[in-house]
Amino acid sequence: MTLFPLPLSQYFAPFGVYLVYLLIGFAFGNVLEMAGFGNSRKLAAQFYFRDMTVLKVMFGAIITAMVLIFSATALGLLDYNLIWVNPTYLWPGIVGGLIMGVGFIIGGF
Amino acid sequence: MTTYTSTQDAVKPAAKTKTRINLRRETKAYINPYLAGILLGVVLFLAFFITGSGLGASGGMNRLLVVVQDAIAPDHVDRTPYLLEMAGGDKNPLDSWVVWVTIGVVLGGFVSGWRNGRIQVETNRGPRMPVKLRWVTAFVGGAFMGYGARFARGCTSGQALSGGAVLSVGSWAFMFAVFAGAYALAYFVRKLWL
Repeated sequence: MTLFPLPLSQYFAPFGVYLVYLLIGFAFGNVLEMAGFGNSRKLAAQFYFRDMTVLKVMFGAIITAMVLIFSATALGLLDYNLIWVNPTYLWPGIVGGLIMGVGFIIGGF
Repeated sequence: MTTYTSTQDAVKPAAKTKTRINLRRETKAYINPYLAGILLGVVLFLAFFITGSGLGASGGMNRLLVVVQDAIAPDHVDRTPYLLEMAGGDKNPLDSWVVWVTIGVVLGGFVSGWRNGRIQVETNRGPRMPVKLRWVTAFVGGAFMGYGARFARGCTSGQALSGGAVLSVGSWAFMFAVFAGAYALAYFVRKLWL
């Protein structure tokens, strides 16, 4: 019997649900700032091989989350079918990604 | 004359041009990137574990703009299927998880900046970059990012980070495209940053 993800809207809709997401966002913003993602120069330095923080943080996070998600699924705690997996739109993803990359280095965020 | 030595310089405030809100707080260094990666991974996991959806940023920004659009040009919203999905009829564009995550990000970032003595008015730029021009490039870059993020149905948070962790093929393709685009252009815009 999998418990997670929680059916949040059954418990406390809608404002309690908003609060949960607000707290998750708070933790997200907090960690990003602690890592230095609030500093455009630090972000841009990645693309001149002077400071690889962006790669280390992003891939560190992806691997950590991946291991935890699939472990929790394997242990029967998490129902993977209820998890949102981005559907693949290959060419829009690649073209949009290239456009975003251009914006990333010009804007610095 | 300023010469660029390392990014650590960018972290330390130059004292003269910057206004610190709380002077009692000493500016602290950023945490180790590998530790930050693990912490971010735990936050991302908890988001999936508790709610079933990952993290996002551009989607929230998008919806906040749709609120404004719906107020000043409701006819346009009613004629555009993409916008209708968010703001049609009695739908409220703010009634979405990603909006609340986005607001939380702003608050969380502010609190971390304040705790670590990094709250200040500043313009992040390379040493050869005039302040006014930097504001122009920030706006242009932001427009590209916003357009690209909607084109790809997600940004570095919603696609690369969240989709990457649950092994979505499209998200991984998107992520490499972002880095490819930025690395390909970096040399030509080096005056912005170096």
